[in-house]
Amino acid sequence: MTQLILQSVVSGILVGGIYGLVALGLALAFGVLKVLNVAHGELLMLGGYASFFAFTYWGIDPFVSMPLVFVAMFGFGVLLYLVLFRFVTRTEIHTRIKNSLLISFGLVLVLQALAVRFFTADERTISTSYSLEAFTIGPVRVPVVRLAGLVVAVVAALALEWLLSRTRFGRALRATSEDWTRAALTGVDVRRVYLIAFALSAALAAIAGSLVSLGYSISPSIGLGWTLKALIVVVLAGLGSMRGIIVAGIFLGLVESLASVWLGGQYREVVALVLFLVILSFRPQGFFGRAHA
Amino acid sequence: MLEVDGLQVAYGDLQVVWDVSFQVPEDSIVAILGPNGAGKTTSLLALMGLLPVKAGSASFKGSSLIGVPTHRMVERGLVMIPEERAAFASLTVRDNLELGAYTRRARASRTETMEEVYAIFPRLAERKSQLAGTLSGGERQMLAIGKALMARPELLILDEPSLGLAPIIVDQIFTVIREIRDRGVSVLMVEQHLEMALESADYAYILEAGSIATEGTGPELEADTRVQEAYLSL
Repeated sequence: MTQLILQSVVSGILVGGIYGLVALGLALAFGVLKVLNVAHGELLMLGGYASFFAFTYWGIDPFVSMPLVFVAMFGFGVLLYLVLFRFVTRTEIHTRIKNSLLISFGLVLVLQALAVRFFTADERTISTSYSLEAFTIGPVRVPVVRLAGLVVAVVAALALEWLLSRTRFGRALRATSEDWTRAALTGVDVRRVYLIAFALSAALAAIAGSLVSLGYSISPSIGLGWTLKALIVVVLAGLGSMRGIIVAGIFLGLVESLASVWLGGQYREVVALVLFLVILSFRPQGFFGRAHA
Repeated sequence: MLEVDGLQVAYGDLQVVWDVSFQVPEDSIVAILGPNGAGKTTSLLALMGLLPVKAGSASFKGSSLIGVPTHRMVERGLVMIPEERAAFASLTVRDNLELGAYTRRARASRTETMEEVYAIFPRLAERKSQLAGTLSGGERQMLAIGKALMARPELLILDEPSLGLAPIIVDQIFTVIREIRDRGVSVLMVEQHLEMALESADYAYILEAGSIATEGTGPELEADTRVQEAYLSL
């Protein structure tokens, strides 16, 4: 029993890193543009397929293709912003959430249908020569690809935090997320900030997708499940702290993992959603969020 | 320097500004005064490209402002301090000032400008690592002005600089506004606080229900019986 619990703690932490990484992008788009992109999970799915096909057809190692996937999906994010989300950000701030929900639900359907059409509905996993390798700490087995996934998630969060707190663009981004009108009056090109934040959000989702296709599996329908996880993590963490989002992701992974040991696998999702409701009722600004944000 | 002619602004079907014309000459303080709801803030927001202009023209240093994105106006030296909480609460005082010098025109000289700002407001230097959200109302207004100065403005627009501040602080703020004018920055301010504004302004306009009702120098308006009856008795 102890071994089972220790093993699920480790698995929970490892998958939680990816939850955090997915949530990072969602929080960025929500915090800066005030749009809720429910197609965030579909962007993850596309990133996963990009890595999968790069590996299957060209034999490119997923860790090598990751920067390329990042750049490609950044470009796709630019396109999505210009074609769809740009129009949402022209509306009043309090109508943006519902407008973005409508648009992104449509996007979910389109991207899923296209994925089934072009990639088939089969479940895919990248199997590299090192995919099955693992090291053991005492009784616990740690798969290397999943551990690498956690490392990538943490590095992404720290990089994003550095960008936000130390750079000129980061200051503009934080200013825009606090109040776009005052940011514009400060000389910030708000539309450009929106464009870059959204594209960055898409690129982060894609990186998470690469990790999912490597350590877990992808199929055209995985998107909404991941969006939901990301939403729960954002509610847990609150907006404002990138590190906090990774911590909340790991926390969610742990809770889910332990819940399936103690209560049975079928309660995994239920426990996560109960947690979501409890946090929303008692601490709506999240663990690390600011009350006024 | 700034010329506005026949400005009209509406929120959808609701027209708030009907006929606003005024000028801000170089090196002067011009005030637009009037009661709440007269359309003062609306006029400024439209001027800065944050609300659509229905009709009229506006030009700054000879070139039109209509349809110019807000951030480009800041780049041209037209800087507005919005009403209340103009600084970003979630950023430190120093980050707010750094952000103030966001435009290309201001970036190169930002270190010197920041020293000037700290010289004008020593209080800000004491609190540079503090989050702006934790400052007092007066300090926050100082930061708002400091941040605007970081942009190296040629014309500074202030929306109700005295709002919600204690009389002593209001005195200090108006003294600073005159100093800013003496350094060669023109000032346009919108105020409800009539007496205080008329003391500082070189020229003032009175806005009533979306139109300019009367205009003149401070002493002229103070002598005007209609103005006295309408406002100064308050």
